[in-house]
Amino acid sequence: MDSFVDQYSKNSATAEIRRAKEMFEEEDGMDAMWGSQAGFATVASGLPKFTIPAVPDPSSFLRLHTDDHADPSCRIKIKHGTTTLAFRYQGGVVVAVDSRATAGSYVASGTVKKVIEINPYLLGTMAGGAADCQYWETYLGIQCRLHELRNRERISVAAASKYLSNLVYSYKGMGLSMGTMICGWDKTGPAVFYVDSDGTRLKGDLFSVGSGSTFAYGVLDQGYRWDLTDEEALELGRRSIYAAGHRDAFSGNTINLYHVKEDGWEFIGNYDVSKMHYEGPNGVGYAYELRVQGKSSANPPPDATEVPAQA
Amino acid sequence: MPDGSFSHPQQRQFNPYTENGGTILAIAGKDFSVIAGDTRQSEGYSIQTRYAPKVFRLTDRAVLAVNGFAADGNMFVKKVQQRLEWYRHAHAKDMPLGAIARLIQTMLYGRRFFPYYVYNILGGIEEDGTGAVYSFDPVGSYEREACRAAGAAQSLVQPFLDNQIYFKNQQAPAGQSHPLHLPLSDVLAIVIDSFTSATERHIEVGDGLEIYVVLTKGRPTQDLEGYRGVKELTTRPDGDRVFLIQRELKKD
Amino acid sequence: MSIMQHNGGSVIAMVGKDCVAIASDLRLGVQSLSISSNFEKIFPVTERLYVGFPGLATDVTTLREVFRYRVNMYTIKEERAIEPTIFTQLVSSTLYERRFGPYFIEPVIAGLQKTPSGSYEPFIAATDLIGCINFAKDFVVAGTASEKLFGVAEGLWEPGLEPEDLFETISQTLMNAVDRDAFSGWGAIVHVITKDKVITRKLKGRMD
Repeated sequence: MDSFVDQYSKNSATAEIRRAKEMFEEEDGMDAMWGSQAGFATVASGLPKFTIPAVPDPSSFLRLHTDDHADPSCRIKIKHGTTTLAFRYQGGVVVAVDSRATAGSYVASGTVKKVIEINPYLLGTMAGGAADCQYWETYLGIQCRLHELRNRERISVAAASKYLSNLVYSYKGMGLSMGTMICGWDKTGPAVFYVDSDGTRLKGDLFSVGSGSTFAYGVLDQGYRWDLTDEEALELGRRSIYAAGHRDAFSGNTINLYHVKEDGWEFIGNYDVSKMHYEGPNGVGYAYELRVQGKSSANPPPDATEVPAQA
Repeated sequence: MPDGSFSHPQQRQFNPYTENGGTILAIAGKDFSVIAGDTRQSEGYSIQTRYAPKVFRLTDRAVLAVNGFAADGNMFVKKVQQRLEWYRHAHAKDMPLGAIARLIQTMLYGRRFFPYYVYNILGGIEEDGTGAVYSFDPVGSYEREACRAAGAAQSLVQPFLDNQIYFKNQQAPAGQSHPLHLPLSDVLAIVIDSFTSATERHIEVGDGLEIYVVLTKGRPTQDLEGYRGVKELTTRPDGDRVFLIQRELKKD
Repeated sequence: MSIMQHNGGSVIAMVGKDCVAIASDLRLGVQSLSISSNFEKIFPVTERLYVGFPGLATDVTTLREVFRYRVNMYTIKEERAIEPTIFTQLVSSTLYERRFGPYFIEPVIAGLQKTPSGSYEPFIAATDLIGCINFAKDFVVAGTASEKLFGVAEGLWEPGLEPEDLFETISQTLMNAVDRDAFSGWGAIVHVITKDKVITRKLKGRMD
């Protein structure tokens, strides 16, 4: 009944919003007013409006021109992100990502920031389409701040991830590509939620997303325990991304490591994958060759003497 | 692809995009920024024009280079310039560079479902006086970097820049480390060499080169005076300054 | 993904002063998965002639054996070592034999050609996958990182480089180009061929 009345009333909140919308909608083809819409941006226009091509099937139009899994020779190569991981343990959440972006076989960048700092206590990772992740996680930051202002308390990770997943669900089927993990520490303790552009939203202890995720899972699964110490947890995260960067052609360059604690996240460091291979974080390299040196007949120790075969 | 045979149903549709070739590049220094682009516009094996600028001055501290589909590029620059003009009227000052970068992201993402086929590189001077380069993909993802090449010859130029600007795969002499920032004369030489190399080995690059140099407020200009044909494009007297250097490239 | 990008790998050859250099990366992968970091793609044909085979790995192995056979037959019949120009023609005709079902390789040839006066002259060449020869005077590139190699080589190469300088130039070209290619890398090997000897060095490269 209320909504029926709302539609026709002149003074309710919805009417205000409708009037603001009409005011801004008058100009044809303008996505936003000059300046920042005098501060009424999200109220007046609600969700951002997107220009859609005037063809019968817009999503296949987009797929035709941009999707490079289906057609690697398409013109618009959208930069794709690759290996990311996050896991929670007794000391909080460890988030580790690589920093390579490839467009086809060309390494477009080796310095992509795949961890998006939504606010001082929430982190989001980037895998899939870089622009989709960057844009919607910034939007998520706006929504989290509004939640704080409206409810006088910090948003929970569950609620933040739900904002994001409901938002991408409304664009389901239109070609967004996003596989992200929302990580934070709220009233319920450390939390990691996996959200993707199909609308999946999963709560879990450990996730890895991207083309190199299978390599990262290999290391992560064998080393993971709830009661890791902080040092061990960070080392596990770093080592897992190294494994993916080493073996996966689409991952590599550097590792960005973050730690989410009760009072917020902390950036631990940026580690070059190749330097980790040869020298490791503390002088002992992660390379397989270095670990098998002197330990097999193919790689004998330098002072071994040949033992003749017994008849 | 539709081939005109009668064996299966086919549909043809207007293709709104085409590729116009060309290459752009930008390098950020300590207190300057260099943004360059060639001037050839081609389609397939034909040259449409030998002079179609791809690098545009937005404000006295920001220069935008666009590459990909020229029609989308030119229209996008006009739209950005329009938004900057609105900003100037609303706020009585020029938009800072970091804000322009974020604005470009939202403008590009507004067309996520019918993208502008343009690779943008924004170069200029940040609020704190340092040189900055922001590079974008067609749907708005962006990153601040020290140097970036984009366009048809990006895979030819970028690795050269990695070696010469970032000193990748080079070991510094014993006891020293590589310089963090290069002087302007070195950077301009690297830019010109990159374009002459790209012109040699890529058919869509050539004809002419336009180099915009943005200097931070108060920086002396004597290292620019040696260059033939330097034009100043600054509009306001005591802020950052923009200069333009034009050179010819091989026309074959 | 194209067949030429299935296994990855790149080769470059450059001309110097009375010397040539040929270099390649060492990666063998299956699309995005990297498998081996010591897959050599450059093979000696004679003392002063090396050939590199970037492309599909199975054809690398096959062509190595095919050319070993054909060069041995040449040596037996002619009673002398094959010269680079002739070997290049042999490569071209062997590839053209498979014009309608080609080997997915773009060979790169580098060596020292004996001149009538008895001295040696640097020689490089490359062919496409069906045997079209490119006789270059400066450098030739092939493989998944070929465009990147063109860019850096064009910037760094100059004529008349001595063997040590040529080594530095070709190494820098290869390392920086393969770092920008997802399907090449995982180490590199460089052969510098002079009239008295061949110096082979392995380079420590990015392992990602």
